Formats: sequence, structure tokens, C-alpha cells
Amino acid sequence: MLRHILAFEIRYWFRSWMLWIFLLIIGAMIFGAASTDNITLGDALSNTLRNSPYNIQNFYSFIGLFTMIMAAAFVNSAAARDFSFNTYQIIFSTPLRKSDFLLGRFFGATFVSMIPMLGVSIGMILAKYMPWVEPDRWGPVVWKAHLEGILVFAIPNAFIIAAVLFAVAVLARNEIVSFVASLIMLAGYIVSDILLQNVERQKLGAILDPFGIRTYAYVTRYWTVAEKNTVAAGYSGYLLWNRLLWVAVAIAIFAFAYYRFSFAERSKKVRAQKKEAAETRPMIVALPKVSFQSAPWAKYFASLRVHFLGVVKSTPFIVILFAALLNCIPGMAFNASEGYGNSSFPVTHWILQIIAGSLYMFLVAIITYYAGVLVWKDRDVRMDEITDSLPTPEWVSYASRLTALIGIILVIQLLVFASGVIVQASYGFHRFQFGLYVKELLIRDLSLFLMLAVLAFFIHVLSPNKYIGYFLYVVFLLANLFAWTPLNVASNLPKFANRPRIIYSDFYDDAPFRLAWSWFTVYWLLFCGLLYILTVLFWPRGKQSQWRERLGNARLRFSGVWPALAVVGFMAYAAVGAWAYYNTEVLNKVYGPKDALRIQADYEKAYKPLANQLMPRIRKVKYAIDIYPEQRNLVLQADATMENPYSKPLDEIHFTLNRLYDATIEIPGATLFKDDKRLYFQIYRFSPPLQPGEKRTAHITVKTHNRGFENEVSDMTVVQNGTFFNNSIGPLPGYSIQNELADPNDRKKYGLGEQALMPILERNCTEHCMENYIGGHMDWIDVETTISTSSDQIAVAPGSLVREWQDGGRRYFQYKLDHDSLGFYSFISARYEVAREDWNGIKLEVYYDRDHPWNVPRMMNSLKKSLDYFTKNFGPYYHKEARIIEFPRVASFAQAFPGTMPYSESIGFIANLNHPDDIDMVYYVVAHEMGHQWWAHQVIGADMQGATFLSETLAQYSALMVMEKEYGRDIMRKFLRYEMDRYLSSRGKERQKERPLITVEAQQGYVHYRKGSLALYYMKEMIGEEAVNRALRKLVQQYAYAQPPYPTSYALEDALRAETPPDLQYLLKDLFEDITIFSNRTLEATARKRADGKYDVSIDIEAHKFKADPKGNETEVPVNDWIDIGAFAKPEKDKKYGKTLYRERVHLTESKSTHTFTVDGLPDQAGVDPFALLIDRIPDDNTKKVTVSGATTTASR
Amino acid sequence: MELNIQSLSKTYPNGVKALDNVSLRIPRGMYGLLGPNGAGKSTLMRTLATLQEPDSGTASLGDIDVLKQKEEVRRRLGYLPQDFGVYPRISAQDMLDHIALLKGVVNRKERKELVEAMLRRCNLYDDRKKSLASYSGGMRQRFGIAQALLSSPELLIVDEPTAGLDPGERNRFYNLLSEIGEQVIVILSTHIVEDVMDLCTNMAIIHQGKVLFQGKPETAIAELKGRVWQRSIEKAELPAFEQSHKIISNRLVGGRPFLHVLSEAALNGGFSPSSPDLEDVFFTKIRGWN
Repeated sequence: MLRHILAFEIRYWFRSWMLWIFLLIIGAMIFGAASTDNITLGDALSNTLRNSPYNIQNFYSFIGLFTMIMAAAFVNSAAARDFSFNTYQIIFSTPLRKSDFLLGRFFGATFVSMIPMLGVSIGMILAKYMPWVEPDRWGPVVWKAHLEGILVFAIPNAFIIAAVLFAVAVLARNEIVSFVASLIMLAGYIVSDILLQNVERQKLGAILDPFGIRTYAYVTRYWTVAEKNTVAAGYSGYLLWNRLLWVAVAIAIFAFAYYRFSFAERSKKVRAQKKEAAETRPMIVALPKVSFQSAPWAKYFASLRVHFLGVVKSTPFIVILFAALLNCIPGMAFNASEGYGNSSFPVTHWILQIIAGSLYMFLVAIITYYAGVLVWKDRDVRMDEITDSLPTPEWVSYASRLTALIGIILVIQLLVFASGVIVQASYGFHRFQFGLYVKELLIRDLSLFLMLAVLAFFIHVLSPNKYIGYFLYVVFLLANLFAWTPLNVASNLPKFANRPRIIYSDFYDDAPFRLAWSWFTVYWLLFCGLLYILTVLFWPRGKQSQWRERLGNARLRFSGVWPALAVVGFMAYAAVGAWAYYNTEVLNKVYGPKDALRIQADYEKAYKPLANQLMPRIRKVKYAIDIYPEQRNLVLQADATMENPYSKPLDEIHFTLNRLYDATIEIPGATLFKDDKRLYFQIYRFSPPLQPGEKRTAHITVKTHNRGFENEVSDMTVVQNGTFFNNSIGPLPGYSIQNELADPNDRKKYGLGEQALMPILERNCTEHCMENYIGGHMDWIDVETTISTSSDQIAVAPGSLVREWQDGGRRYFQYKLDHDSLGFYSFISARYEVAREDWNGIKLEVYYDRDHPWNVPRMMNSLKKSLDYFTKNFGPYYHKEARIIEFPRVASFAQAFPGTMPYSESIGFIANLNHPDDIDMVYYVVAHEMGHQWWAHQVIGADMQGATFLSETLAQYSALMVMEKEYGRDIMRKFLRYEMDRYLSSRGKERQKERPLITVEAQQGYVHYRKGSLALYYMKEMIGEEAVNRALRKLVQQYAYAQPPYPTSYALEDALRAETPPDLQYLLKDLFEDITIFSNRTLEATARKRADGKYDVSIDIEAHKFKADPKGNETEVPVNDWIDIGAFAKPEKDKKYGKTLYRERVHLTESKSTHTFTVDGLPDQAGVDPFALLIDRIPDDNTKKVTVSGATTTASR
Repeated sequence: MELNIQSLSKTYPNGVKALDNVSLRIPRGMYGLLGPNGAGKSTLMRTLATLQEPDSGTASLGDIDVLKQKEEVRRRLGYLPQDFGVYPRISAQDMLDHIALLKGVVNRKERKELVEAMLRRCNLYDDRKKSLASYSGGMRQRFGIAQALLSSPELLIVDEPTAGLDPGERNRFYNLLSEIGEQVIVILSTHIVEDVMDLCTNMAIIHQGKVLFQGKPETAIAELKGRVWQRSIEKAELPAFEQSHKIISNRLVGGRPFLHVLSEAALNGGFSPSSPDLEDVFFTKIRGWN
């Protein structure tokens, strides 16, 4: 019987089109994502083979989420079909065993739910054979990966989903409830996502993910490209535990439902029937005389109320709302995302960002679902004949429904508004920006929801049934999101409801965006107005199913005010559209997404050959800059003095222009030879040629060209408050490698080969080391600036402030560099508060926004401590000032320019560092940027591999030292733990080749920052801080402000080698020249208490050492290393780490070894590399809980 | 006031001719629209209730063009569809109040009184706060008539109103209808012959979209006087009788077929004369005999 029911269930679905449509959908999705870059699902398939086992399993892991709603249809039908079709009386009166019935239906539904997921394999395998794919990005079909994907993800996920939904459906006997249950599971998944942001909670997230998506991500987080291309994860480790746990949970849920299920009808029905008995005799009542009016507005408000309450009281709404708030409010409350496990102050724009990220998909779901419900409401309950024959105008029927839906969204927005304020207050944060809340939630976002709703109503009104309406609407939204990029359309004019992006900043609010945003909003609102009129004209009423009839009706309805409204509306829409077109396409220019790439590609093709041509070098620049913040205008004049340092005359100088600005260049004795207006490149010819040693001064003018409004605000550098730009705003001498396409796939598409990265590292390099890696045909230059701005703003330029004055209602400042510096500097103007202190005659200044005072003292402290440590250990500081300057959150970085460190509003200034265990991000970043004042701004590497080893890695080391002095070793352990995690997880995403530190490429941040921290900290642990600093001091002495040739990374390695004792020389190769990975663990840790109260500890350890190639293929090498062993006491309450009882460096030559030592206190943890200083994928098993044996009990008696 | 229907025709996309050149004049008073299921009654009623467009023809209510001046018709209309549902999660009182407002009773106090009186009249007062969705079939039907009567309509259209009602409910329903009196046009569509007999002063018989008869029920019955014969036969004899006679109806009485037969000439051999009723008229008409 069980077999029969199972087979029946499967046959039932195999005959239904729904199953095959779902399979087709999943197959098409995966096919699309695998075969083209225009469609991405989850992460882009960037660096691995497209059909790598990793990708296959990854797709299998998260396709469970997609299939959940599909599974809901199967499972729900299997469990509740008999109730919804009222066949239960027939089925349940047959002599059917409960177990056969339930198990048969359940396994049938599980099996069927799994089928759509097979679309992953189908899509993947088909995609490989498409003519347009690049064969070199496809490997052979790895059947094992498909099989593992099905076994580890598809089957268990189908089982888990089916069990939960089946239980819900069986118990509730209601279609909607199980649909809602799938939504709740979805929300649960998203909540577990928040947990994962914190490295220390990743494991918990991995265990708790019911679909195993995060588990898979966790298990594979350190996989290298080579591993991703070859290995398929089977049942092991966390994946096994996760699957076991959730299958067990699913069985328990199913068992509960099984136990509660009964064939008997529910008692509810009986109750309903009893009421019928009560009956009184009819009364003849005279009807009162009443008056009738047409009163459309009264009807509108009454209908609004009915529809509003109708939605608000419905179960799906309550559940979606609940799920939405469950997703949104905890997100607001635990906004841990500032990095290093720190959190930021709950500033309003941040809260708003969380709301948008966590709530809005639910709001779109509500609009999508309820627009359909409301349009079809009367017809669905078959009340349409009554309501349609009432004397209500169509516009009342529509407007009341539309505003009911928008009213609901409004109420939810008000709810999260209040929640946001409460969350802020609960953090003791009292800067509530009510105006910003209102603007964002109730104007900007609500207007978008209104547009989406108008569109949804329109589609449903034209659609022949509700489901086609849903389908069309969703397809339209997806097309509107994804179709424009492949079509190379960037303009907002055809993209439904698209408006320029707004980046809020406390500096300028939304000022730079307001004009363009407002025009496009008016444009789309007018469009929606026209849609509204069309919707009214075609509003379904009665039984007209044929278009002829509907058109006839529309013609009948198109009378009264409608023609006038339609004409006026259309004219306004056309006029605003034309105005927007004129502003964005005529006054300004819209670049399609592909246009920009093509320009980059063409630039490289045309001018890369000129990159190595010798060019005059800039020696000195004198600026006169006028900033007009209110108009977002800028006029920059520069007198740039250039010199021919070479032994032969120079004929040409080239400039790469910035396309956002108009630039004119006048060079005495030179003429414009080539002016490429499309690629923004100019060539000037000297006549007579520039003789060796000859100097000339070019006069350069750069102006903004703000005209009308743009499609997207392109220039975010000159703004009403918070102008921030660097010298690249003007023409840059020569070819600019930053303009090249970096994405390997884009490069291939535009006919470019692999990007030539930095030149190969050379020893004893002279000829190829004449440029530093900042480039720009400049060495150490002198900069002098006169800069003016509005009277309420402060403008800052490189160097010391020489003079400040007012003239004509504007404020002028004159700055001059104290010491020739790199040709890499910035200019800033904003309304600032300034904190000033003095450190041994050097002015310390923090320029900050009035509303962000919190971390300024920490910045000051870090400046001082950095100067203390660096001047003592590295060498003198050559500037008379050290400034930190806050800039708007259009970018989120901190950067070091000579003596000046701009620091984004979004990092650090709003960080909440009031928890003692947190890493002081602000302190760290400031120390890092101060480190750059030596490493980059004094010692700069040649433009060659490994250059950033000299700057970024050393700045990182410098920051670590300053941090360790201030906060102690325990915080360093936490910090390095994050560095290790980020290094290991980033190397798996490497698109080209992982380099060791000594040949690191400029863009390999995970190597020069993350691995750099680990390597130099380890070096310091091994040879001592003094030795490292001696080496660095030598480096400064030799290379600070040195003229070319510039040093290479060998200079650093050699300096460190000189300080390293012979037995540790191997470290230089391991840490800097190779990619070395360890796998260390402790197998056994025991201790025995001695009579004298001390403990004899014994540990069995295992150590493996691997060398990885650039793709991550590892080869084990014999261990012959000095590695720490040690033991810790139990951590005190509220402490993360216990006291170090023992630490000893041992020479390991075998992979397995046993060590014994004696400690004074009771050991808690003991093991190898106890501080996890070596790069190791599983640092947690380095130490093990110590088993303290027998003697303790005797002692305690 | 009179409802005048001229040559209404309607063919559905699937080829079914729902109305075939229908012309009717419907005066004040109860007007019965009799026809088997699928005769086109509902199409006609929905057309009159502004819910459907005919392919051709006209209909006017007094001076009002029913097909064009829909809003005018709706203001005068009470309509009880054949089959209807209700919004979930709303009580009878709230729904009636809402419908009263949509019909134009804007004054809150008047509306309240009106709804209350209507609830009493339709015997729903005790259940007025209950969710409509929980109503039984009879209660729902009474709610239907309550909403149709709310606006004191000049044109009341009720489509198969007694389907699914028990005899008691049916009686009460007819009492309600008859109270409206002869002041307004009431169109009652049904396939139950007694309904028309009991209530209607005028009637029409529709079959396959065509009007087979219109006039007073008595006239129709008078036409058959002396032409209907009855007898009971054995089951096995039925095919033979079907061959030889115009059988109007055939129902089982005591397990044996009992025939009504149309014959101009007197029949003997077990037949006895039967006094014709409306049912005989109905079957005669739809079989196309005259």
C-alpha cells in the first residue's frame, strides 16, 4: 500500500506541468549563470573553472532556498490536497493505514521536491557545450561533484524542507499556512546570515544553517583555486554534523505531525453547524427613508478602510510582516559590521541602510502579492457581481485599493521608523535624524513603492488571470533589473522607476543628488499617473473577457475629466522626459555600461605602447585653487615645472586627462600634437626639444563643468560640503595604468590579453627602477598652494599653513610642503571642527564633522603614540604637521598623503569602540596611515613586484607595534586571528596568481596587508622587535627621500636577513619568498600534579608544512622548524585568553613528536604554536584541553 | 417605467449562443424568466445588471440606455447574482453598511438605520456581527437579498435565488420579494416552475438563447387546455411510447413511469385528461411544440 501511494504521488506530479516548469526554471537559471557573465547567482564565477566541483556544489547548496517555494506547492498538495478538494471524506473513509498514507505522501513529495534541484546538473552540463562559452574556462564533467551535490544538499534539503512543510500542512490543513512557513524558513536563513558576519560566530552559523549553505561556505572558506577546481566536499566534518542535525530535526518534526495527524474530521465544523438551529421569525420592518448621493470621496474612504482592514487582518500579511520585522529589527539591533567584529554607532543613515537591506524585499513581496489579491479580490471570492453592479466609479475601486496597499507600506515604514529610533535610544545614542528618516522612508522609498504598486495593479488589470499577472509582474521586475546592462542602456529614462542613486552623507545630506533625483522622480510619477488612468479605463468590471468589450468599455469610461487629465498628464510627462533627456544626454553625456569598458580597452590598446617613453619629470607645482561649494564648482590653476633629467633631449610629453573636468594645458615651446577627445589623451610636442637639464613650466587650468543635471551624479569630489580630491583631478603625465580594465573576463571580451601587472622583481635593479610605484613621472616634488573656499569652510592642502585671509567674502589659505614629497597629495574643503594638539613641535590636527566627535581623542592618541614609536624606532618625521581629515562617505577608506591623512566618514568616525574587548579599529587605522609617513612617503618602492611589501606590509607592522604597546598581546591575538581568516579566505578568490610577499602585486591586499601582518609579526616574535626595527631603521637611513633608482622588496628582505641568526634564516624564504602553510595540531595533552604543587605537562603534537603554488596546489615539505609549544591557565572570568604558563621554542624535525614540561599553575590548554602565529587553516586545534590526571584528586584531599 | 429589450444577441468565444435575438418588454411587477440550466438566463440578467456586453441589440430602462448609461442603471439597480461569495473577515453588518455607502447612502445615521432595518427584515439581525464567511447557505442568500434591496431599487434582478434553500427559507425569501410589491420591476430567473407560478404576473420562457414564450402564466396554461393527457406505464413500454407519442414529461410515480403527453386528439387506452400546469407549458415550449 505504501508503495502504491508513493508511486501514485510521483506519477501524479510527473504528469503535471508544474514539476517540469520548475525543473526548467532552475535549469535555465543555472545554465544562464554558468554560460554567461551577464547572469550571476550568488558570487560571480570568477576565478575557478566554471563547472568546477566547487561551483557545482555551491549551486546545489543554495538552490535549496530557491526550491523552497516550489517544494511548498508539492508538499502542501500532498498533505492537504484532500482537504482543499474536499476529497478527504472519500479518502479517509477507505481502509487505509495512517502510516501508508502519510509516509507514502511524504516520501513522494520529498522525491518530487528534489527533482527541480537536478536542474543544477542539467544546466551545468548543457552550458559546457554552448558555442559561446570559452573552452579554457571549462574542465571535464566531474560526476562525483554532481553526485555529492545531490547527496549532500539536494536530497537532505528536500527532506528537511518537505518535513517541515508537510508537518505544517498536515496540522494546519490550510494552504496558506505552509506557504507562510516556507517564508519563515527563508527569514530564519537570513537571520543566521547575520550571525556569520563575526568570525568567532561562524561555526555556530555553519551548524545552524538548515540548508547547509553557510556550512558549505564555512568548510570551503579557505579553499584555494586549485582545490575548488578539483575537490568535491562529501559528508565530513561540519557538513556531516549539520546534515545529521537537521535531518534529525526534520524527522522529529515529521514524527510530531505524524503523531498528531488523524483521519477524523476536525471538531471545528461541528461547532459551525450548531449555530444554524437558532432562528427567529422574520419581522416585517418598514425601511427608513434615506437619501442617495453620488459622493465618490465618501465611497473612496469607506472602500479604503475595507480594503486596508481586509489586508491587515489576513494571515499571510501578518506572517510576512512578522517575518519581515524579525529579519529587520534584529538586524538593526546587532549591526555588527564595521570589521574586526566591531560595531558602529547606530547613526541614522546606517539604520536606514539596514532597513533597506533587510525589510524591503518583504515590502516588494507584499506589494507583489497584495496587488494581485486586491485586483482579484472580488472575483476570487465571487463577490464581483454584487460589487460591480454598485454605483461606484472605477477610479474609486482602484484608488481605494492602491492607497490601501500604500497605506499598509506606510504603516510598516512608520513601524520601522519607530523601531529604528528605539534601537538608537537603546544604545544610548541620541542623535535622531527625524528629518532624514522621513525623507528616506516616507518620501524616497515610499515613492518607489508607490510606483511599483501602480505597475503591479496595471499588469494585473490587463492580465487574464491572477497567476499570469504575478508571473508577468515578476518577469517585468527582473527584466527591469537585469536586462538593461546587457542592452548597454544606462539612462534612467527607459528603466522603470529608476532614479539617480543617492549617497547620503552627514556632510552634505543629499545636496549633490537632489536636482537630478527630483526630476526623475517627477518623470516617473507622471508616468505612473498615466498608468493610473489606463488602469482605471481598463479596470475589470463585470464579465467582459474579450478585448473588444473591454476596449468598448474603456471608450465609454474615457469621458468627463479623464480626457483632459490624460492629455495634460501626457504633455507634462513628455515635457519632463524631454527636459531630462536634454539635461542628461545633450548637456551631459550618458555612458552605457559597455561604453565605459570599451573606452578603457581602447585607451589601453592605443596608448599602452607609449607607456615606457621617457618624459620630462615634474619637479614643482604651484597651485591656485578656487572652490565654490554651493555651485559644486572648482577652478584649479597649476604651474607645473618640469625638467629633463636624462642625457638626451625629449620630444614629447603626454597627458591622460580626467573626463569629468575640462582641462587646458599651455607649455612654452610646445604644441598640441594629438588631442584624443574620446580617450582623453593628449600629446604635446616640444619644439625645440627639451634639452637635458632644461626646465619649463606648464600652465594647467582645470574646471568643473556642471551643466543642468546628470543621469547619475558622476563627480562626487566637489560637493556642497566635504570636497575632497587629489592631484589626479588634473592631467596626469603619461599613460595611466589605473585606467586599464582589470577584470580578466572583461579583458578577454574586449580583445585584451592578460593584464601586464607590475614588472618582474629584479635584484640590483637600476634601469627598471627609475619610477616609483605611485608613478606619474614624478619623484620628490615641491608643492605650494593657494586655495580659496566659502567663508564657512576650511580648505586644506599639502604642507604647513603659511597664511590665511578673507577676501570678497571668501576664505583663502596658503600652504607649502615642509619637505619635498611624493607626487600624491589631496585637497579638501568642508565645514570642520578642528581638534589641535602639539607633539614635540609638530601640530596634530583632526578635522571632523561637528556630528562625529566620538573617536577624535582616540585618533589624537594614536597620532601621538605612532609618532613616539616611529620616530624612536625608524627615523625622523619631516613634516611640521600630522592631520587627519574626515571626508564624506562617497568612499570608505583612509589614505596617507604627505603629513595628511584623509579618513572616510563611514569608517572609524562612527565606530563604536566602547566595548573593552574590541579591536580599536580607529587607533589601528590611524597608526597604519602614520606608518605610511615612513613606508611610502619616505621609503618608496620601485614600480615593480613587491613594492607594496615595502609600504603596506611595513605600515601594517608599524600599526601592530603601536597597537601592541597600547592594548597588549591578547588583543593582538584576536587581531591576527582576523588577519589570518581574511588572508586564507581571500586567496581562494584570487583571480590570477597568488604571489609570495616579496613579489606581491599592488592589488593583492590580502597578501601585503593580511599575510604581511602575520609574516612580520612572526618575524618579530622569532628574532625580536629590536632586531626588526634595526633592520627598518637601516632601510630608512639608506632610502628615505632617495632619488631613483628606487629600492625593491629585496632591500627589506636583505635588511631583515642581516638581523636574523643563522638557524632562523629559513624563515626569510618561508615567510617572504614562498607561500607556506602549516597544519599543526595537538593530539593529546595531559598533566600530572606533582608533590610540590607544580604540574608535569605532556603533549603529543603533529606538525605538517606545505608549500603552495600560485593556484593553491600544495606540496608537503618536511618540517624542520623552530615552533613554539606552550600552555595556558584557565581564562579568568570575562577574559578570552588565560595566562601563559609556559612558552618554549622547540626545533621540530618530525611531523609527530611528544614534549613534556613543567608549569607552576593548573594548565587548561596546551599545545603547539599556541598563539596561532603560523598560517594554519584550523588554528583552533593547535591547543587542546589538558586532561589533568589522578594526582590532582589525591592532592585535593 | 418599463424595461424594454430589443434583439439582444450574444455569442461566447466558444461558439455558444447565449442570447439569440432576445426581445422582451418587462413592466413593473414580478417577472419570471424561466428556462433550463444554460438557457441564457444569467447572460441576460448580467447584461441587464451592466456586467456584460451583448454583441448586438439594445436595452432601455425608461429613458436610460442600459448598455451605455451604466452608472444611471446601477443607481436604480438591485442585483442578486445566482452564485456569489463574500469577503472574508468582515461581518454582515459592516459589509451591508459598506454596500449602503457605495450605493450612495452617505449620511451615517441614515445608513445605520437602513442597515439595521434591513437586517431585521431579512432576519439576520441576531447574526449581524458574525463573519459573513461563516454564514450558512440560507443566511448567505438572505444577506444577498438584503444587499440587493438596500437601495430601494427600481429594477431588481434576482438570478436563481432559491437554489440551495430549504422550503422554509424559500418561503421567507418569497415573502420578502412580494413585499416590494408591484412598485418596481422585479426580474426573477429560475428553472423552478412553481416559483414563477406562485409569484409572477408576467413571464418569459427562454431556451438556447431564444425567447419561446412571453406573457402571463395563465395565458400559457390556457393554450394547453384539453391537450394534455396522462397515464402510468411499465418501464419496458417506454421506448414504444416515446416513438408514438409527444411525451411532455415522464416522472416516476410509485416506481413506474408516469407520462404527460401532448395530443390535440383525445387519447384513450389508459390515458386520462390532465389539467395542464406551467410545467407542461415549460416542457412543451422547450421541446418546440405548439
